[in-house]
This record gives sequence, C-alpha cells and structure tokens, in this order.
Amino acid sequence: MTQQVLFYIFAALITLCSIGVITVRNPVTAAMYLVSDLFLLAGIYAMMQAHFVAAIQILVYAGAIVVLFIFVIMLLNLGPEARQRLKIPAPELAVLVITTIAFIGVAIMMTNGQPTVPVGALTPKAVQAAGGNTYVVGMVLFTKYLWPFELSSMLILLATIASVVIAKKDKAKAVKSTRKEQTLTSPAASSDCVEAAAPASLSNGKVVHGTR
Amino acid sequence: MGLDGQGLATDAATVQVIATIIKFVIIFILCMQVPPLMVWVERRAPALMQRRKGPNRVGIGKWRLYGLMQSLADAIKLIFKEEVVPEGANRAFYHIAPIFAVFPAFLIACAIPYGHTMQLFGYTIPLSIVDIDVGFLFIFAFSSLAVYGVTLAGWASNSKYSLLGALRASAQMISYEIPLGLSLIPIVLIFGTLDLNQIVVAQSAWIWKWGVIKAPISFLIFLICMFAETNRAPFDLAEGESELVAGFHTEFNSAKFAAFFLAEYVSMFILSLLAATIFFGGWQIPFVPYHALLVVTGGLTWLASLIGFVVLILKACFFMFLYVWVRWTLPRFRYDQLMSLGWKFMLPLGLANVFITAVVVAAIQFG
Repeated sequence: MTQQVLFYIFAALITLCSIGVITVRNPVTAAMYLVSDLFLLAGIYAMMQAHFVAAIQILVYAGAIVVLFIFVIMLLNLGPEARQRLKIPAPELAVLVITTIAFIGVAIMMTNGQPTVPVGALTPKAVQAAGGNTYVVGMVLFTKYLWPFELSSMLILLATIASVVIAKKDKAKAVKSTRKEQTLTSPAASSDCVEAAAPASLSNGKVVHGTR
Repeated sequence: MGLDGQGLATDAATVQVIATIIKFVIIFILCMQVPPLMVWVERRAPALMQRRKGPNRVGIGKWRLYGLMQSLADAIKLIFKEEVVPEGANRAFYHIAPIFAVFPAFLIACAIPYGHTMQLFGYTIPLSIVDIDVGFLFIFAFSSLAVYGVTLAGWASNSKYSLLGALRASAQMISYEIPLGLSLIPIVLIFGTLDLNQIVVAQSAWIWKWGVIKAPISFLIFLICMFAETNRAPFDLAEGESELVAGFHTEFNSAKFAAFFLAEYVSMFILSLLAATIFFGGWQIPFVPYHALLVVTGGLTWLASLIGFVVLILKACFFMFLYVWVRWTLPRFRYDQLMSLGWKFMLPLGLANVFITAVVVAAIQFG
C-alpha cells in the first residue's frame, strides 16, 4: 500500500519534472529539472529494494553527467532560448494523439491497471538471501553478461580516445596560430578552459542571465 | 528498516523508525555545533602557531572561555544581518543554492556507523542512522551532489567573481571525485563489503588490521581528495580571496552566507568521520576489543556504544585539526597545478593502487 502511494507520488513528480526539462527556457533550470528527474528515478529504484542501482543512478547521472552539462552551460554562458511556435500539421498531430492513447491503453491492458510486482527469481527476499544487491548484480554482470559488459567498456574507451583526438587536432591548430603573437609561454592546457570563460563575462562587465 | 511496503504494524518496526528519528536529531544537533567550534579553532590554532593571541575577549559575563563565545556572536550577527539580493541575480537559484550546499552533507551523515549495535529496552538498535548495505555507494552518490550548491551559487549571483569561483569549483570537484572513488576501491576489495559497519567490525581493535595499514596509498589519496572535495586550503581556489574576492559566495550575505559556512564545516566533519571510519577503525578503541569493553562496562551495550561513539568523534577531531593545520602551512595551488596533480598524478596512482591491490587480494584468496 505504502509502496503504491509512493510510486504514484514519484511517477507524478517525474512526469512533471520531465515536462519541465523540455518546456523551460532557461538551460540551467532545465538541467536542474533533469537532476530532480534522475533523483526521483533513483527513489523508485530504492523502493524496489535495488539500492545498488539507486546509488549508481545518483552517482553517475545526477552527480557526474548533469554536473558536466551545467559546467558547459555556464562556460558558454547560454542565455534563455527564444520561444518558437511549434507547428505540427493536423495529420501528424492526429497520429501523435492516437498513438499516445493506444500506448496508454495497451499499457493498462497489459498490467490490468495494477502496478506490476516483481516476478521471477530475483525477488527482494531472494536477493537478500543470495548475499545482497551488490553481490547479485556483480555475479550476473561478471559471469553471464561479461562479454557485453567488456564490449560496452571498449565502446566507452573508443569514444574517449576519439574525443581526445578531436580536441587535440583543434588545439594543435590554435596553438600554431597564436604562438606567433604570444611571447610569454602559455599556461598549461587544463587552465585554458576557465581562462577562456573570463573574457566573455568581463568584456561586457556583467554576466547576463535569463531573468533580466 | 525503512518503508518496506509491509506497513509499520509491527512493534519492532515502529521502534526502529522512532530510533531513526532520534538518531538523526542527535547527529543533526551535533553537526550544528561543528561550525562555531571550528571557527573558534580556526582562529585560535593559527594564533598558537604564529605566536599571537587570537580572539580571547568574548565570553559569558566575567568568564572569557578563551574567546569561545566569539563564534556565537558572529553567528548571531550573520543571522540578523539585512539580506541583500544582488541586482540581476537569478532569484530562484540564488535562494535554493545554500540549501543544495547543506543537504548532501547531512545525508551522508546518515550512512556512517557511529557505534556498535546496541541493546536498549530489549530492542536491537544499529548505530548508523540508516542501516544500508551499500553505505559506501550511498556516500559517494550524495557527496557527488555537493558540487551543485557551489555551482548554482556562483552562477545565480550574477557576478564575474562568483562565476569564476563556481567554474573552478565544479571542475575541481569533478576531477577529485574520481581519485576519491578509486582510493576507496582497494578498501572494498580488502574487506569484501560495501557495508561501512562491517568494514569497521572487520578492522577490529588491533591497529595492524586497520585500513590505513592495509591500504596506505589509498589513505594518502583519500586524504588529498578530502581537502579538494571540501574546497579547503591548499585547494581553496573556488574562494581564492586574493583574486576572486570570495569566489562562489561573494554575493551571499546574512543567513545564506552562514549556510555556506555550515555546509563547508559539516562536510569537513563528515569526511573526517569517514576517514576515521574507513581507515582508522571507526568506533573501535585501539587494543581494546569490543568484548573486553563489554566486560569493563558490565555488559551494558549502550555504554560501550557510547564510548565507541566518543572514540570516533575524537578520531574525527584529529582530522578536523589537520584541516586547520594544513591551511596555515601550505600555500594555495595554482589552477593548472591543481588539475595536473589530479589528472596526471592522483588518477594513475589510484588506478595502479586498485590494480595492485586486486592482484594481491586475488593471490591471497586463490593462491
């Protein structure tokens, strides 16, 4: 009973925050809505006794990825987005509405209007008996799904190397062009990112924000 | 504990909920005492180091109490000051930022085991506020949220100094979170659990079983990251008063400024508690095992737990003093030095540490 009530509260809040993410004009506000979204999702995981996944959810998404989003937004000093009238032609709108209703209908039919209860071998009690959340996740991840797990880590490594390569290329060009003008040795590469932000805000004397 | 969907009908569950609330209130009150005391220490300790007197006037009536009431006077002054919101600030985030700064610290406090499980009125009560089996991850998850307070504060106050402070802080905190995480993986490998209470129990009263002896490199990395994560000297570039006025909280005043103070000192205290818990045996008294302590206290588990709690606080106090000590010893890093230390030294060291520990643990287990 408590669980159901909590689920509906979480679900409603998640929906509201998700709408916030896509409708709000200020990018920082949108990012903060996204944080609350991810946080509430972690709440649902925790309610399902999946503490490990809940903690990882907050740690990785709310604690790292969105922080980087905000970092970039602040660095670029993005202002609020201009409002645009979204034009959806009537046939497309009709299709959108019908598919949405159909999806909700199917979802209700599949679940008989009840929130699904965990079925299968890994019920909360079974997980507890097997040695806890982390143990079970680790066992499955590093035995049954080891190959996909390693492959996905290779993918991430690939993306990291690619981004480093792309960043290096630009940097090499930029250094070549600016070296002639600069007689002083430039500071280390890592400090550039913050130094770069300074002129943007200093030149007009004031950091411009959405609420002005 | 917690809401498990079965309702709270059973007597024992109700007791646990009440106990949780009481424990939280006690820890909350304790944490609220940390900033005034630390402000006092932070004035008196450097005075001692520099052969000055430091604040020694404000006391109660004719008792001067070594100027201890100075912090109380400061707190009252801060709270009753007029609140000024800077022009052009993003009001919503300007008001939310101090809350964002304070709340992760108190949430982390929930996962730390403050003593051995005790028996009181026939009930078994664990002495961490919430007893979760992934305490380690819980702490990481919420400490990674601490950066929002600083970032939003700097961004929302519409000031170039604040913005620069916030940018520095967010880059720094993200960079040092990674070595912090890596430094604790060897501990998880050695003790084989993510449960902080079990880690403390496994460390036992014998010093050579403590985390600091078993994983000294981890402790070194953790110690450095502790300073970086709380934006304390020599990593206080986010404030950098010589170049950024006061960094991310330049535009904050009155109670909101006090909230940032509170957040900084509470997270220092919590990280000190954590360092004591993970590397220095937590509530274990050196060379006095728990069963021996029980004999001394005449079988009263609550008294033994209380002694353990005091021991943990004393261990944390050492780290709190270390914060002050280091602040008045080392000069501030330059920004590029900070970044190259984080990414080029701490990260490879952390990775190597994890690898070597994993090999050794595997060799002991399977060899």
